[in-house]
This record gives sequence, C-alpha cells and structure tokens, in this order.
Amino acid sequence: MIWLVLLLVQNLTDPGTISRGKRIFVQTCSVGYCHGVGGAAGAGPRLRGRKLDKDYVYRVTRDGIPQSAMPAWKGRLRDEDIWAVVAYVLSLSSAVEPASAPAEMPPGVGPAAFLQFPGPAEAKRGHDLFFDATRGTRCATCHSLGERGIPIGPDLRDVASENPAQLLSLIRNNRSKHVLTARLESGEVFPALRAGQNEKWVKLYDLTTPPPVLRTLERSQITSIVEANDWQHAAVVRNYKTEELQAIIPYLKWERSQEK
Amino acid sequence: MLLMAEDGSTRANWPHYGGTYQFWRYSALEQINRSNVKKLVPVWAFQTGVVDGGLQATPIVVDGVMYLSSSWNRVFAINAETGRELWHYYYQNPRQIGIIYSPWNRGVAVGEGRVFMGTLDNYVVALDQKTGRELWKVNVEDLQQCGCNITGAPLVVKNKVMVGVTGGDSAHRGYITAFDVVTGRMAWRFYTIPGPGEKGHETWEGESWKYGGGASWMTGSYDRELNLVYWGIGNPAADFYGESRRGANLYTDSVVALEPETGELKWYFQQIPHDVWDWDSAYESVLLDLPVKGKMRKLLLNTNKGGYTFVVDRTNGEFISAWPVAEAINWIKGVDEKGELIERYEPQIGKPTFICPSVGGGRQWNQGAYSPQTGWYYTTGIEWCQEVTAQKEEPKEGLNFFGGVLQLKPPPTGRAYGHLDAYHPVTGQKFWTYSSKYPLLASVLATAGDLIFTGDAEGDFFALDAQSGTKLWSFQTGSGHRGSSISYAVKGRQYIATPSGWGSAVAGLMPQIWPETEEFRSGSTLFVFALPEEGP
Repeated sequence: MIWLVLLLVQNLTDPGTISRGKRIFVQTCSVGYCHGVGGAAGAGPRLRGRKLDKDYVYRVTRDGIPQSAMPAWKGRLRDEDIWAVVAYVLSLSSAVEPASAPAEMPPGVGPAAFLQFPGPAEAKRGHDLFFDATRGTRCATCHSLGERGIPIGPDLRDVASENPAQLLSLIRNNRSKHVLTARLESGEVFPALRAGQNEKWVKLYDLTTPPPVLRTLERSQITSIVEANDWQHAAVVRNYKTEELQAIIPYLKWERSQEK
Repeated sequence: MLLMAEDGSTRANWPHYGGTYQFWRYSALEQINRSNVKKLVPVWAFQTGVVDGGLQATPIVVDGVMYLSSSWNRVFAINAETGRELWHYYYQNPRQIGIIYSPWNRGVAVGEGRVFMGTLDNYVVALDQKTGRELWKVNVEDLQQCGCNITGAPLVVKNKVMVGVTGGDSAHRGYITAFDVVTGRMAWRFYTIPGPGEKGHETWEGESWKYGGGASWMTGSYDRELNLVYWGIGNPAADFYGESRRGANLYTDSVVALEPETGELKWYFQQIPHDVWDWDSAYESVLLDLPVKGKMRKLLLNTNKGGYTFVVDRTNGEFISAWPVAEAINWIKGVDEKGELIERYEPQIGKPTFICPSVGGGRQWNQGAYSPQTGWYYTTGIEWCQEVTAQKEEPKEGLNFFGGVLQLKPPPTGRAYGHLDAYHPVTGQKFWTYSSKYPLLASVLATAGDLIFTGDAEGDFFALDAQSGTKLWSFQTGSGHRGSSISYAVKGRQYIATPSGWGSAVAGLMPQIWPETEEFRSGSTLFVFALPEEGP
C-alpha cells in the first residue's frame, strides 16, 4: 500500500491519474453547492487558478477541515483515489479561463469508488441492522461503534466478549445494571443514566422514550436516584426480530476484534 | 364580513421566527413612517464574534429582551433597549462537522419559558429563558450517518417544539420531529417520504424512498383556529437525476398540513411532482384571509425555489393560483388553472442543459412580507440561470446526493440581477419593482409606517416606500445582508433591527457570475435603528 501511494505521489502529473481524479472530482467534489465545475467555487472555495501544495490538498481531502463544511474522505475514498483527486486539483492551478460547461460525465458512468464496509461478510448484515435508518429506533440511537452512532449506552466492545447466547440474553434482558430510577420534586419518575454532575447540577439521560434526552437538573429538583427499576432493554429492541438480533452479534464481535 | 381575518401583525414583541405564526413579517408599529424615516439613526450594534457563514438569523424579541443566534450555534439574550448582553450560550459542536449545511443558524424559538435551538450536529437544545442555562438536549439523528442537521428555527406550538432537518441534497429520508418542551422527549416524527404500507409510498421507485431527500429545512406556520401546522418540504434526492426514483415523489416539493398533537397528515399540496431541478418548496408559508372571486378564503401562500408562488386554500389544500417572482424561468411554460405544470424542460443526462433560474432560486429562502395596509405581498426575485448536467449516481447513505453538476450563467438577456417587488398576493399582479445589482438575499420587513425594509449584498440596509417602491433611507452596515430584519418596541420607542454579515452556500456560488463577490467581506453584526430621542 505504501509502495502504491509513493508511486502515485510521483505520478501526480500522469494524465491517466489526473483523468481518474477528474472523474472522481466531478461526482464527489464539484457536485451541487460544493466546489463547482472545474473547481470554479461554490459553497466551497475556488480551486481553479490557485497554487496549492500537494501535501496540503492531500491532507485536507483525507482528513477534512475541522469546524468547516469540508468532510474527511478517509474511509469513503480509497487512498489512491484521494491522490488522484489531488493530482486533478493541482492540474487546475494554471487554469485561467472559466470552467467549460459540465459535459464531463458520459451517461451511465457509475459513482466514484466509495469504500464498502471493511469487515467480513458475516458481520456486514449485523452492521447494516445496527445502523438501519429505516427503523426510527436502532442500536445506533444509543450506542456508538466504529465512530458512528450516539455514545450514550455502554461501550458494546466490552460486552462483546460474552458468548453469543449470553449476548443475546443481555440484549433481550428485562433488567439493566446501568439504568437508575430518578424521582423529581415535581412527582415525575423516569428511567435514567448518569451523565455528569457538580455541586449544583446533575445531568441525567432520560430513557423514557428513545432517543434519550440529556436533562440538566438542579439538585433541589431531585428527590432520589436509586438502582432497581423496571426499565427493559428488551422493550427498546422490540422492532428487531430475534433472528436479526442474532445477526448483529457477529458484527459486535468483529468490532471488538478491531480494538487496538 | 362573515369571516374574521386573524391578525398576523406584530407589535412591541417579535415573538416568532416569521413575526407571528402567520408569517406576515409585518409590524403594526407606525412611529417610524414614510415622513420621518430619513431621521433613523443607529442606537446600538451587537457583534456575535463569529463571521464564518455570515449572520442569517431572525432575532426574536419578547418583553424587551432580544434572543439572537449566530453561526456555530451561539445564542445571546440582549437588552433590546441598550444592546447589553444579558447572557450567552455557546454550544459545543464537535470539531468535525464536514457537512455542506453549515455553519450558519437561522434562528431560535422562544416559548414556555425556554429558548430552543437546533444545532449543526443535529441536536435540539432547550435553554432557560432567564439564564441561558441548558435544560435538555436531544439527538435528532446521527449527523455522520444521516448527513443532515438543523439550521432552521424551531416552531413552538402549545407544549411541543418542532424542528425540520436539512439533508435534501444528501442520501437521506427527511422528516419533521416534535419534542415535549419540558422534558425533551420525542412526541412524534412525520416522515416527508412515506414508508412501505403508507399512502404515497407508491410514488417512489424501488428503494429510492430510503434516500429520497425531502428535507424540511425552514420553519413552519401555524393556524390556531384550524389547529394545523404547515411545513414546506424540499426537493427529492438525487437533485438532478430522477431516473431511479420515477414517480411523483411525495411529499417532496409539497406543503404539508399536520396536526400538532400527533404529526398526522391532514392534507398536502404538491407543487412539483418528480422534481429534477432542486426546486425546494421548503420556504415559509404565509397565512392570509382574502377574498377570491368574491368569497373570503383562508389562504396559504408559498414561494418555491423554482420561482413560482403557489396559493392554496389552507383548510384543504385546494389550488387557487400560481404566479412567478422572476422573469428568467424556462423549466416550465407556466402553471395551468388546476395547478399543474405546463411543459417541463428537464436537465439531460451527461449533457449540459441551460435552465433558468439557477439552483440558487428564482427567490432564495429569505422571506417576503405581507402588509394588510397596502394588501400587497413583497418578495424578492433573482434573474440568473445555469448549465446543469445530470449524472447517474448511486446513493451513499448520508453523503452528498446531487446527481449532477452545474455552472451558473447570466440569463439570455445578458443581465443577471436581483429585485424586490410588490404583488397582489392572489393574482401576482406587480405594482412596482426595485432592482439591485446583485441578488437580494435578505428577508423583507413591512411596517404600518408604510415602509419596506431589506438589505443588499453590498451592505446597504434601506427603506422603501411601500406604495411606490421609492428608496427613502439607506445605511451602510459594512457587510452584505443575508438575515431577516425585524421591528419591535421598548417603552414606547420603535426599533428596526437588522443582521448584517455576508456568507452562505448561495453567496459562495455567486462568483460564478460575479467574480468580484468572491472577495466580499463577511461579518456578523446586528444593527438597531430608531428615531432620535427628543433633545432637551
């Protein structure tokens, strides 16, 4: 891989690489409101007619720009494709004329080469179910894995050491050792997870209905926070069939194996 | 008159994003009027400290306190008389946003003792109105997965706060969500694209409904009497490539009427079936009661990005009329008496197609204003075109899903420009026009002083005579206008407030026609004007 990258770095002026970079650019960077045709500028800055450093362009394309609209393409484009885009962007540096009409893509050309799920086939279905957007509530509503999802519930890489039968029983359990019961002065009672506190405030995740709500309560508002409650994890996963929950387990195992 | 028209005017307060729930953006205050507007002077200015993305918000004023939001989700409570800060809340966004719908915020909502804001990383927060302390925070959907977030102002109706999401140009399925104002618990979600088994699902081909866009990125209106919330829905995705989503693609490019308690759909009106131009219908819905053919009707007026204003009966969605706000329009020949589009002209796949207006719109999202005094609707229009090349694209969840590229061009007349016009709200008859060198990208404010206020790209904030369109007063604020001016009063003194600060995606596209605009200065300052106080 390193050899390949080095090779590409040396070939940033290669017409084939530039042409490949252009194809990716057209479907990835010049679309809609972004950098415009031929880097003419859009919501993103103009790239045309601008002297740019290759390492800078590579870094920004790969990692994105923090606190900006520029996304990181690492994990979405192959590294050699990022370098091809860099080659194309550098080729625009001497452009002075406005970009020509956008006729670059012949009909029927497929999308830029996005990376697919990097894990094994048996984990793919579980991954897709974990993040399934067609379900209002999905695992990722409360759990984060692979830098996606909302990190509220426990880190599932720890839990994934259990054997599959135990894991399934944990997922479908009727008790949770993490969830507490909060009682407020107002009479309100809700299942809660602790999220932080200081001398004045207590932060609790309210688990009454997904998605969890991070509530900041004055200590004087709270009557008690106790263990033991009737909150059931089984209830929040009821829109998954047993067979689907079983299919998620190999994905959890695979994510655990990726731990560094 | 048999039917009492509900008053959509504001007075001392500017309580909602659109002024009132009816979205008139009309102040009944008349201390500042045609005869004395020349004497307006700045009384204070407020700097948010973040110029990135400009200042696009509409301030809210309640009982002498102004609530203002800026890019990167800062919220300020300001003494509306003196300009002194009362509290601020700086939301902590993650370092990596990487989404095209950023970093601006278009406003907060105030109600039930709370200030509500949607965030760039797709949360809703509720703050204590008195202190700015965060009370609750809830995730709407994972930003990195959905490629969507919140830049529009929330809408508070009764005990619910409703928010739309961006994501109309991402592979994402849009929705509107309501949360309980006290607990933050989700009350309902209305998907703008019906799922399997739901009515309207058949208007989507295959799996296209999963990634079909339908963003709800602006703010809804509310009719108290009918108890209906109206929300404009954006374009289907991929924007320019429609071959894999054949069908009408409901409820994209529609106005939907929802019951606020449940989110249940009561009616819809789709302006553009199977949009392939990125013509959102996501802008504001103005609620008016006016006679049509001699009979009083409850109307809803919604201008879309394709440059057409659609007027429907807001009790049932029945089509009344449609009229254009720009001259450079070639994607249709017009709209017939049933509300159907006449002769569509669509972008071709793999071949540049000259389409007017540009993707920036025959009008931008910045709102128009209705004056019950003149009976006219005041809105901007933009003359510009583009070459679009549609291209086949597969959806990648949460990533851009445009299905095409574009290059902005002047119209065939050779002159690209912006204008502000006075119209009859039902017939579209034009009474006057005010032209500007660049697109006018700020909202319009109308007042009972018979004045129309807005700002331009070059930084001038100005007042026009509502009757004639004659410019009466102007003030250079130092940066272009992209937000929404308001009027309010404290202790009997009327104020006019305007955000100043150039930025946004559309401002970013402008150099394709006007290269010099690439170097326009951004900013983020709120200016407040009033008549000079009587001297001793």
